[in-house]
Amino acid sequence: MARQLVKFRSSKHNMDYILLTVVLFLVGFGLLMIYSASSYEAGIDYNDSGYYLKKQAQSTIIGFAGLFVMIKFPYKALQRFDVIAIVVSAVLIMLVKTPIGITRNGASRWINVGFTTFQPAEVAKIGVIVYLASIIQRLESLGKNVVRTPKGLAIILVPPTIIAGMIYVLTKNLSSAAIIMGIAVAMLFVAVPDYKWFVGVGISGIAAVAALVMYVSNTDMSGSSFRLERVKAWLDPESFSTDKAFQTLQALYAIGSGGIWGKGLGQSMQKRNFLPEAQNDMIFSILCEELGLFGAMTIILLFIVLIWSCMVIANKTMDRFGSLLVVGVMAHYAIQVILNIAVVTNTIPNTGITLPFISYGGTSSLFLLMEIGIVLNVSKHCR
Amino acid sequence: MADRYKSSNRNKNGSKRASRKKRRRENININKIKSMKLAVMMIIILLAFTGLGGRLYCIARDNRNDYQKRILSQQRYDSKTLPFKRGSILDANGTILAASEKVYNVVLDCKVMLDKEINEEPTLTALAECFDLNLSDLKKYVKDNPNSQYYVLKKRITYEEMSPFLDRKNEHNKEASKKGNEKMGIINGVWFEEEYIRRYPNNTLACDVIGFTGTDNNGTYGLEEYYNDVLNGTNGREYGYLNDDATLERNTVAAVDGNTLVSTIDANIQAICEKYLKQFNDEHADEAREGLGAFNSAVIIQNCNNGEIMSMASYPNFDLNNPRDISAYYTEEEIAQMETDETYYDTLNNLWRNFCISDTYEPGSTAKALTLAAGLETGRVVGNEIYECSGALDVADHRIRCNVRTGHNTLDVSGALEQSCNVAFMKMGEALGVKNTIKFEQIFNIGLKTNIDLAGEARTASVVFNEKSMGSSELATASFGQGYNVTMIEMVTAFSSIINGGYYYEPHMVSKITNANGDTVKNIEPRVLKQTISSTTSEQMRQYLYAAVAEGTGKSARPAGYAIGGKTGTAEMVPRDHKNYVVSFIGYAPADNPQIVIYCVVDRPNVADQPHASYATGIVKNILTEVLPYLHIGRTEEMTIAEQEEVDRVLGNIVQANNPEGAGDSGEPVEGDNGQGGGAASGEAGNGDGNTDTQDSGKPAYIVDPDTGELIDAVTGEKAVMDYSMEGDDTAPVGENGADGSETDKKGNT
Repeated sequence: MARQLVKFRSSKHNMDYILLTVVLFLVGFGLLMIYSASSYEAGIDYNDSGYYLKKQAQSTIIGFAGLFVMIKFPYKALQRFDVIAIVVSAVLIMLVKTPIGITRNGASRWINVGFTTFQPAEVAKIGVIVYLASIIQRLESLGKNVVRTPKGLAIILVPPTIIAGMIYVLTKNLSSAAIIMGIAVAMLFVAVPDYKWFVGVGISGIAAVAALVMYVSNTDMSGSSFRLERVKAWLDPESFSTDKAFQTLQALYAIGSGGIWGKGLGQSMQKRNFLPEAQNDMIFSILCEELGLFGAMTIILLFIVLIWSCMVIANKTMDRFGSLLVVGVMAHYAIQVILNIAVVTNTIPNTGITLPFISYGGTSSLFLLMEIGIVLNVSKHCR
Repeated sequence: MADRYKSSNRNKNGSKRASRKKRRRENININKIKSMKLAVMMIIILLAFTGLGGRLYCIARDNRNDYQKRILSQQRYDSKTLPFKRGSILDANGTILAASEKVYNVVLDCKVMLDKEINEEPTLTALAECFDLNLSDLKKYVKDNPNSQYYVLKKRITYEEMSPFLDRKNEHNKEASKKGNEKMGIINGVWFEEEYIRRYPNNTLACDVIGFTGTDNNGTYGLEEYYNDVLNGTNGREYGYLNDDATLERNTVAAVDGNTLVSTIDANIQAICEKYLKQFNDEHADEAREGLGAFNSAVIIQNCNNGEIMSMASYPNFDLNNPRDISAYYTEEEIAQMETDETYYDTLNNLWRNFCISDTYEPGSTAKALTLAAGLETGRVVGNEIYECSGALDVADHRIRCNVRTGHNTLDVSGALEQSCNVAFMKMGEALGVKNTIKFEQIFNIGLKTNIDLAGEARTASVVFNEKSMGSSELATASFGQGYNVTMIEMVTAFSSIINGGYYYEPHMVSKITNANGDTVKNIEPRVLKQTISSTTSEQMRQYLYAAVAEGTGKSARPAGYAIGGKTGTAEMVPRDHKNYVVSFIGYAPADNPQIVIYCVVDRPNVADQPHASYATGIVKNILTEVLPYLHIGRTEEMTIAEQEEVDRVLGNIVQANNPEGAGDSGEPVEGDNGQGGGAASGEAGNGDGNTDTQDSGKPAYIVDPDTGELIDAVTGEKAVMDYSMEGDDTAPVGENGADGSETDKKGNT
């Protein structure tokens, strides 16, 4: 595939048009799905079936502006902002607890900047990517193994951990915190030659999760926390079908009833009052219901193409900073898509993760497109 | 890019060459590691996607049918009923007598509202302010029942009451959807359940005729019951079904609204009738006994030329919008008492039933018109007969008295009707014979339902004579309207045929049925059922009846300026103890060209001395004074100044507390009566038979079950046999011994 891409590109600028095409398709398809999934409820709640579509279209336009800015903006200049990025992210996250913070559904995840609202967690993701790419490059330029020293590791991992911790503590957004940690680990993984540490951490992580699951499934539910209940609901959705597992179960019904070819675009029944947040976290299940396994696999394939393109760009870019930026973006996309589909299929407990480009969400859409802009920018400088 | 970097470095001094080389090597090394790591990462990602893809496939493969069923089962494709609108009832002029109105129940869905907690405050505040509810109560309810989905806050509010909330909701939610107002919350979780309720804009007007309907669309009494099926439409349905592809289709079948009735009732005439009935009742309330001015009082006005009922009023009445409210007639203690001894519903049913068609009574002298018509028609009475009245007649060992004890001396046929002489009519009855009497009873439809289009018409077959039950004394009493029972509608219809040339029209209340759009579905034309008497006889009867008002007992019924015909009636009730009477007047107007027949019955007027038809004629006179000009019937007679003043007063519509019969028609006769009624009073005293107690309890001694036509004892509810006997000296004087006699006096004076 990489070879074909090379042929396709002109010598003048090597920008990855396949990636851009895939993104454009996903964004367009995302708008279609948002309309399909939300029109029924929007019509009832706002008397305007296109309510969510319009709002998402606005964010998408802004997102594309951001994308083109990032294509033109010399990405190397970003390296200057590495520490600033992490500080700004931290400050923005803290702002949710100030009066300009907005609380919805019991979680303060948004801040109001007058003309619009956005989620600082989304800014933090891109901030962490920039910070890590920059700091790893800087450390490596000091010496071959500086990154692997405890001090180096601390410099690399402590700030993202602090940010992730803040996101979890202040905004109660476990999924964003997990994504940030995932991005950090993935970038570090690519940067260092070691495997055993990662395998070790991976195995112990899995063991810890397994232990927790065992513990939860064998404990009495009374007085347990919100997270534990979610885990319990994940293990046995049928017995929480009216409460905690309602959304998960309805999503499963949607996926199951879609079959191979689906019910047809716009024909979902689950979006009609049954599946909460149908245009949001759970949009993938509506996609499955309407377009079936075929549609779902197509979208998954498109995301694989996207991630693959990122990998190719990262691989070919000799510039360490640019390459690591692309790795970060790639990790971000991969983690978010995988986690979202895993939630929808009840493979992991329910936690609010959106599907890039397809789910409704203005901030997410803007920063994801900016990240794509950075990747495309880097791709221009490939050899 | 790395190459460029490398070449630029080449020109720099050699001391750094080693480190450059080293860096380059490191770069290559790093890039190798990177490629390797990226490949590993990609493999992990692909594995994850493969795993998820496999899981998707498994979910779809293993659970497809199960999940499809679950989805379908949780869809609300059960049908929803769309209520139809019951048709209206209009009067002859299009005035709405009854109409269904769409109303709304306010329902709060706490679960939906609490979907977002910030919605609670604006929603509850809006509810409290728009529907005048207590905010803290609402909050408490929501706090206690956060999962309640159906909490009716307010029932049956009109659209006007509901719309402020809708406006507010739209405004608020529009405002809240603007940027930066997210904290406001939206008004959510309130919905309105549609329902129709029946409204009667005129409240008590024509209550017995219209009947009433609850929310179940099931009419009770009157037109509402009789035309229940016509008025009701078909409910629509909104339903879902699964089509061939097992996808849900939704379908709506609109409701078909019910048909509208255009009644022959004229609300204005009806109101006039009810006004004077009420006036009478108010005047005589609590006069001789506690209670209304009469147990029942009723008026029917019929168009005698086509059988249409223009007015059918009775008192006591009730509010159709609130039919169970009897507080106007009973105190709270009495109602509580009724509820304990389970007579509450009997009382209600008595109030609701239409006296004009459901209650029977002995017609009294008004039936003399029928007797005379039968006599003339059969030729047994030719009109030149002369009757000698000595005050009583011996019939089959009974001595039956005339209304005037001293007798009427010599009377011709016209005079017999004018003076309402029982003896003359007994002789006519004798001439007619049992066979002809029974025959004409049937010809005039007495004892048969008139089939008027109202629910609850009584069957009277068992309370009239047949050839077996009629002996010579029964024949004698039947000739002046005692001994058998009729309903008002039977009398009116029969009388109309006597007036209009002998055409017996089926009485009816509805002239047209239209659909909800106002298109005519059915026109109900007048139906002539039979010819009762010849037009010549009818012509003769009109003259006699005209004379009966102009010269005779019915004088006090004549409205100033008009010539009318008619006959009074004063019937003594069973038991014959000279206590309880049904007084009545039946007449037609105008005399030369009959348009309407009016019949007024006052059942046991609340006066010390009941047997005076003037209680009925007074009502008739007042009604006609207003109704005839309203019908554009011109005055034909000259009016005296006193009459003119009276007419002005009545038509000026000033209902005064003083006696409307102030012209002296009734006051004087009552005076004269007391002397004359002395015999009756003493007779009563002498009678003292002790079986009057049922009368005193305020109930008729008997009633007729409208379903079976059987007589039942009003007190015990058991089947009863009525004692119509006129035996004994003291039971003799029946008929008009009061007002009629006084009319004689007056006539003598003038």
